Amino acid sequence: MNNLLNTILKDTSSTNLLKHRLRILKTNLLKTFFGSQTEELSLCAEDLNWLKSLPLSLYQQFNKDNVYQIFSDLETEIAKLKILTIYLTFEPDEITLGQIGAFARKTFDPELLLDIKLNPNLIAGTALVWKGIYKDYSLHAKIEEKKPEILEGFKKFLR
Amino acid sequence: MILSKYHTLYTFLFLSYYLVMENLPIELNQIIIFLGLASVAGLVIYNFRLNKRSNPLSEDQQKSYELIHNAIKKSQAILGSAELEGIKVAAETKFETAKLEKAYQSKLEEVLKQSEEKITQAQNQLLQFMAGLQERSQDFEASGQKAIHDRINQLFERLEERMGEFLISAESKTTSSLELELKSTRQLIETYKSQQLKLIDENILAMMEQTLNLVLAKKLSLKDQLDLIYEALEKAKIEKFIV
Repeated sequence: MNNLLNTILKDTSSTNLLKHRLRILKTNLLKTFFGSQTEELSLCAEDLNWLKSLPLSLYQQFNKDNVYQIFSDLETEIAKLKILTIYLTFEPDEITLGQIGAFARKTFDPELLLDIKLNPNLIAGTALVWKGIYKDYSLHAKIEEKKPEILEGFKKFLR
Repeated sequence: MILSKYHTLYTFLFLSYYLVMENLPIELNQIIIFLGLASVAGLVIYNFRLNKRSNPLSEDQQKSYELIHNAIKKSQAILGSAELEGIKVAAETKFETAKLEKAYQSKLEEVLKQSEEKITQAQNQLLQFMAGLQERSQDFEASGQKAIHDRINQLFERLEERMGEFLISAESKTTSSLELELKSTRQLIETYKSQQLKLIDENILAMMEQTLNLVLAKKLSLKDQLDLIYEALEKAKIEKFIV
């Protein structure tokens, strides 16, 4: 089970992407086991590439009898994973998201999942939420920190 | 005979009247007795002459006439002594009455004099009492006026004192109230000033942030964004925010 989850998590760092990929994998497997041959899945190129990138050994673990059970177990395991909520000032593409996820896993935990949220008010940088505690590391927070000095500078300018 | 009976009845009535009227004054009684005896004597004489004219006098009649004559004499003697007695009694009565009147007069005068003296004395006492009463009333009035005067003076003094205290207290209260009001107004101005300055500061920061946001969104490259994110993650590790 861990091998299966680790394979999926290998290049899947965000919760949204993980849910999406699990959904398409499950759909693909269900189609394979229970669907008709003529039925086609409407997937984008990135999703298809990801499905193709998965090793054959992963697919060989599934059969008609255990497919539902394995997905159920996977959901249970995913619920146990540590999630770091990260606020970004821009909407990252899959590659950027992968880079950020890889850096976070390298820095903290290889099984870490990111919950990506958007907040343009942060200006630049990021804010993090870990186990319910929010901490702002953005430019907005830095400006707030340096507020008296900045205002002093402005006041000098106004004189 | 009839006439004789009539005279007897008349005499009887006359005597009865005398007995009934015994309470009348002495002189009047004596007159009545005298008149009664005179009428009896008259009747006897009338009967004697009437009998003498009709019948010749017998021995018995002679005796009876003598008896009657004696009786008349005696009665005249009695009448005379009665008359004398009556005059004497009347004189004595008159004297006693005069004496009594005189005594009564003197007694009355004495009583009147005493009464007059007592009345005069009572009048004097009354006048004295009234004078005393007037004096006391004047004293009472004077003392009352003095008490009222003192009381009014006291009241005025107290009023003056209270007014002074009240004015001082009011002045102090007004001063402290004004000071408080002034302080409050100054505080309000300071608060307003600081709030306005804070608002201006916030507006300056908001303007700056908005400007930076607009500028950096265009000017900051993806690499720079990523560098900032990596920097933040490393800082979180250093701070042990994520364990």
